[in-house]
Amino acid sequence: MARSSKPMRARRSALNRRGFLKAATLAGTGAIVPVVARADAPAAAPAQERHVVELASRETEQGVPPLSGPPQSNCGSDFMVDVMRSLGIEQVAAIPGNTFKGLHESIINYGMTTPPALNLITCMHEEISVAIAHGYAKIEGKPMACMMHSTVGLQHGSMALYNAWADRVPVFAIVGAQLDADKRRSMVDWMHSVFDGPALVRDFIKWDDSPVSLTQFAESATRAYKFSMTPPYGPIVLAVDQELQEGGMEGGVSPAIPKMPKTSVARGDEGAVNETARLLVGAQSPLIVADRAARTAAGLALLVELAEALQAPVVDVYGRMNFPWRHPLNQTRRQRALTSEADVILGLELTDFWGLTSAGLAKGAKRISISSGDLYMKSNYQDFERFTPVDIAIAADAEATLPSLIDAVRRLTTPRRRAAFASRGAQLAMDHEASLTQSRAAAAVGWDDQPITTARLCAELYEQIRNEDWALCNGTVFQNFWPQQLWTATHHYQYMGDSGAYGLGYLPGASVGAAIAHQKHGRLPVAIGGDGDLMFCPGALWTAAHHNIPLLYVVHNNRAYHQEIMFVQMMANQRQRGIDRAQIGNTLTNPSIDFAKLAASLGVYSEGPIADPKDLGPALQRAVAVVKRGAPALVDVVSQGR
Amino acid sequence: MGRLNSALASALLIAAMCVSSIARADEKPPVAGGDPVNGKRIFVVYGCYACHGTTGAGGGIAGPKIAPGPLPLEATRAKLRSSAGRMPAYSAALLKDSEIADIVAYLQGIPSGKATKEIPLLNR
Repeated sequence: MARSSKPMRARRSALNRRGFLKAATLAGTGAIVPVVARADAPAAAPAQERHVVELASRETEQGVPPLSGPPQSNCGSDFMVDVMRSLGIEQVAAIPGNTFKGLHESIINYGMTTPPALNLITCMHEEISVAIAHGYAKIEGKPMACMMHSTVGLQHGSMALYNAWADRVPVFAIVGAQLDADKRRSMVDWMHSVFDGPALVRDFIKWDDSPVSLTQFAESATRAYKFSMTPPYGPIVLAVDQELQEGGMEGGVSPAIPKMPKTSVARGDEGAVNETARLLVGAQSPLIVADRAARTAAGLALLVELAEALQAPVVDVYGRMNFPWRHPLNQTRRQRALTSEADVILGLELTDFWGLTSAGLAKGAKRISISSGDLYMKSNYQDFERFTPVDIAIAADAEATLPSLIDAVRRLTTPRRRAAFASRGAQLAMDHEASLTQSRAAAAVGWDDQPITTARLCAELYEQIRNEDWALCNGTVFQNFWPQQLWTATHHYQYMGDSGAYGLGYLPGASVGAAIAHQKHGRLPVAIGGDGDLMFCPGALWTAAHHNIPLLYVVHNNRAYHQEIMFVQMMANQRQRGIDRAQIGNTLTNPSIDFAKLAASLGVYSEGPIADPKDLGPALQRAVAVVKRGAPALVDVVSQGR
Repeated sequence: MGRLNSALASALLIAAMCVSSIARADEKPPVAGGDPVNGKRIFVVYGCYACHGTTGAGGGIAGPKIAPGPLPLEATRAKLRSSAGRMPAYSAALLKDSEIADIVAYLQGIPSGKATKEIPLLNR
């Protein structure tokens, strides 16, 4: 309760203007009521208020009943705002929808005007709203809220929820609902009503509820937040009835907001952890493989500690920023060889253990998994990947388990083993340098090619940002992991993995969301994204421009869905039909998309198309300067497929 | 195999995009047994570039580097005829021996680029 007291006090001071507005609306059926500005109101307030009154009047003339409801100080959606604030939510992303108009109004006229202020991010598609929340959470370490219209809004946002689910990212999603059929005012209201809205996405969210009272809303929101932030993290959905938002509080009294419990993250069982340590210390060729292991910066530091204690190689699957890219024990480029030689493989939050080891294991090799994925899983969507018969499966959060594992490793390490570790570490350091040399040599191939190679693109970009506090907001599989090969990254926030479910349309929104989280730290966020991906949700660029969110978006414009060309070729060959038509449906030419013009039309500074590699560095330099001034910029680079 | 259509027109546009770097290959003397100009055309029209890059520089897990310094003709033919991985297999009905020779001629004609040490951005 204590947490709700401050916002409620703040609300009382802010509600007078709204109370006046309501009175004006009720009085002005068909008439424009003069508005008297409060002395402490912003200068623009009278015009805004007049607009609201005019709109209400037009609706009345068209037969829509005048707005009615409880006194403003008692409205349920203001209480919902207080609940969100009590959870520490600071940002809400949404495209408007009338099933959450009560909450929308509360956010803009109450949540945004009283401390601690919420910020409403205007979006152009629900998929963008969810993706923004997705990217934000991966950097900020806590959920952003997003609101979606009932039925059609959630349907639009469902793909992005699946990405967040597969990526184990918390998203606090609110979807409007209109359960009382008697309150539906048009055929559209019926189209946009559903009895159990969250059922659509229940297979790939962590939890949902449809509260029927404000007391239940407070409890459900707190429970939902707790679930979403307990590893494995995941998105939640609350379906919130319109009447609950727009109605009042019973007796005019704000219900209690439950206290958020301090949650203890599941750590590995002591016996299993000790056995894991024993195997790792005794191994001749141990291998640590990290996927979404480092939930936080502490996780990265712990993984470094474990690797250095063992002088063991680390292969990073790049689900998160798990391990410094230039650390001598980072042996990611040698994944295949190390996996086949290892006698003990430790997978940390490894989604696809089977894929890692399917090419073959050394005889007698042991596999150990530490994963919160074993704690919570669903059955319909198959993102749990193929079953892998590991020797020890520790159902626990990897990051939370690392301290006890490190302690056990140190306890079991004898001076003799320590000497062996040192020898191994020295060899691995040389191997890392050799890999770096190989990567640089490979990057030089085709250096002056047109279309521009992805290696050149990434090297040119790094040249412009390497002395800044940069953060890369995209997964890099489609750029051949060149950033990991050529750049130096040490901080957890400098890389945040990919979409999770490889659903197209993720990056535009997710990079904007990440950039929002980076903004207060003054970092320089950059994203390299495909042309096909960007065309799913280009409206995210407008959101970045509208809210002055600094972000450098580099379009890896290969003018095709290149991955798919190969698959169609394969089909055509199997059927002996020839491959000269394989590009139909896959290439994005005739006309080629002008992303610079597209971005400019959305209010974003842009350069391109850049076809000559000599032009790339200067274009990026100009764009970086724009981003450093606090605005988004886009550079369209005509690139090789990969 | 010889059907020309809108996809081909599209591919030729992409080929035009690649012209400056590929042109360097044309300056090399033709490799015996193969026509590098036709090889370049096939490389683009048949979509080899999609995974291997327009000059064979490679595309990571999508397709390895195949130039400069491509496999010899026989090894290339064996790979194309019997590929079992991501790389589609090409029967003789789909890709003639002469066309493979042309592709190899094109790849063999691609010059080595700059050495790493000549590129400041790769020596930070």
